[in-house]
Amino acid sequence: MIELTGIERRFQVGDTEVRALRQIDLTLADGDYAAVMGPSGSGKSTLLNILGLLDRPNAGRYRLDGVETTTLDEEARARLRRERIGFVFQAFHLVPRLTAFENVELPLVLAGMAPRPRRERVRQSLAAMGLTARAGHRPDQLSGGQRQRVAIARATVTEPGLILADEPTGNLDRAAGEDVVAALEALNNKGLTLIVVTHDPALGERARRRIQMDDGAIL
Amino acid sequence: MRIEDTLSSAAHTLTAHATRSWLTLLAVALGSAAVVLLSSLGEGARRYVLDEFTQLGTHLLIVIPGRNETTGGPPPLLGETPRDLTLQDALALLRSPHIARIAPVAVGEAPVSAGSRSREVTILGSTSDYRAVRNLALAAGRFLPPGDPERAPPYAVIGQTLAEELFGSANPIGARIRIGDRRFRVIGLLEASGVSLGSNLADLALIPVSAAQALFDNPALFRILVQARGRSALDAAQDDILAIIRARHDGEDDVTVITQDALLGTFDRILGALTLAVAGIAAISLAVAGVLIMNVMLVSVSQRTAEVGLLKALGAREHDILGLFLSEALLLAAAGTAAGISLAYLGVALFNSQVAAFALAVPPWAPLAAATVSLGTGLIFGLLPALRAARLDPVAALAGH
Repeated sequence: MIELTGIERRFQVGDTEVRALRQIDLTLADGDYAAVMGPSGSGKSTLLNILGLLDRPNAGRYRLDGVETTTLDEEARARLRRERIGFVFQAFHLVPRLTAFENVELPLVLAGMAPRPRRERVRQSLAAMGLTARAGHRPDQLSGGQRQRVAIARATVTEPGLILADEPTGNLDRAAGEDVVAALEALNNKGLTLIVVTHDPALGERARRRIQMDDGAIL
Repeated sequence: MRIEDTLSSAAHTLTAHATRSWLTLLAVALGSAAVVLLSSLGEGARRYVLDEFTQLGTHLLIVIPGRNETTGGPPPLLGETPRDLTLQDALALLRSPHIARIAPVAVGEAPVSAGSRSREVTILGSTSDYRAVRNLALAAGRFLPPGDPERAPPYAVIGQTLAEELFGSANPIGARIRIGDRRFRVIGLLEASGVSLGSNLADLALIPVSAAQALFDNPALFRILVQARGRSALDAAQDDILAIIRARHDGEDDVTVITQDALLGTFDRILGALTLAVAGIAAISLAVAGVLIMNVMLVSVSQRTAEVGLLKALGAREHDILGLFLSEALLLAAAGTAAGISLAYLGVALFNSQVAAFALAVPPWAPLAAATVSLGTGLIFGLLPALRAARLDPVAALAGH
């Protein structure tokens, strides 16, 4: 359950203040599938960063699963990110020197899980993405679609309730993009809340809910 | 994050940037090796000097004519020179219950000849106890016999070099030699024991003290070597010597007594301080290696900005990131130190196997000091880059700036 009320985010750029988000009110139920759309600079990514607890709003309230997050310290926010939220980025953000397996293992390592149960979880997560055969490959030995599916496996390995995907198909060709979207929607069908930021109208059309943004506000 | 995961992750990162890591490791290794090697050089010198002094003999006191301190009071009205130390002074010292042996020493230079060969060498006059006081070993024959030092037979004990110069490979024992205008019979050959405190024991002739006094026409002794009855008797022996000589010299304190321990202690302190100073200079190279670690870590942080952003998005806390980068710095420092110390021990072993005259000795504190300084600099110089990484803003870091 996501509840945003009166969210404001302002940046100081030189002498001028830019209002990246203006009075955002948004409620998403568990298991929702929303596409955030809008032109460049409309505040889509800023909204996603706020939702992902990577950024703090200047004003407003953000309740995630009933927890008021704007008053939490960095330690508690890191914990929420670790346990409740999975990120999928346009640029994949896989660590190049680590294998697919090790990349997927990262969130569990950061969570301090013991190696034995950790490996089992990673195997399951990779298998769910059809990547069992690629577990020992480094990112540069994988195709774009495979890389993004490794990233999805990494985002889901901690069994979060919310997946935030920022242009997940932006660096992929059509076929690979469809694979990735199918993988994300399969997660949504299992009950995970899915929020996708995208330029692509076709991708936006697939979401049950479309959030159109312009100049920092939801239209 | 579990500590073992932090360490293995840091090790993984270091091996992924092998060249950079090896070069930094090399710098740390050279620094720690320098600390250990230079301090072992100092320690070797210290032990060498202490050995030399111990060879002089044990529980040794040296009585030298003249005083090296001034006392208060008006200058003497009559011109007064310090009295000579005489053989009688030396023999009087034996009255002290704290003194085991004495050896009066008269020294001079004189030509020694045998047949047609002649050589100018140091002539040392003493008594039979000189051997025990100085721990001398004989290669052949016997030492000056005990007996009344005033009427000792004209026997001489000579060093190896002198024997070779005079007699070649022939046996010198029993041969007659001439020292100055006097005749002596060679009864003993000293073992070659190298140079001991400036006097070359291989190139001298030892004769009875009364003969030396007659030879040089001088009743004064160069010094008196005194062996105390034990380590604990040294102070009492020193007091007795001063008292006995004062009584014999009309109440004048005109001799100086040097104890071997005092001498040893002084050299020990000087060379110990020298070793520390040298080790300190070497430690500077470790600090330089620390700066190198910092540089490498700063480059690493800026190259891995996006990765740090990712780790934060995946839920890493500030101290997880701090731990990761600090571990890298500390692993580099630790591996470098281990390599450097091993290298130093190897170097010391190699040197000692090749050079017999002087032995390097690693003082026990040196590897500890090297490790402490190196890990300390790793920690201090690793902290700034690690803090920088830990405090990166996740949104900006993910975007790569």
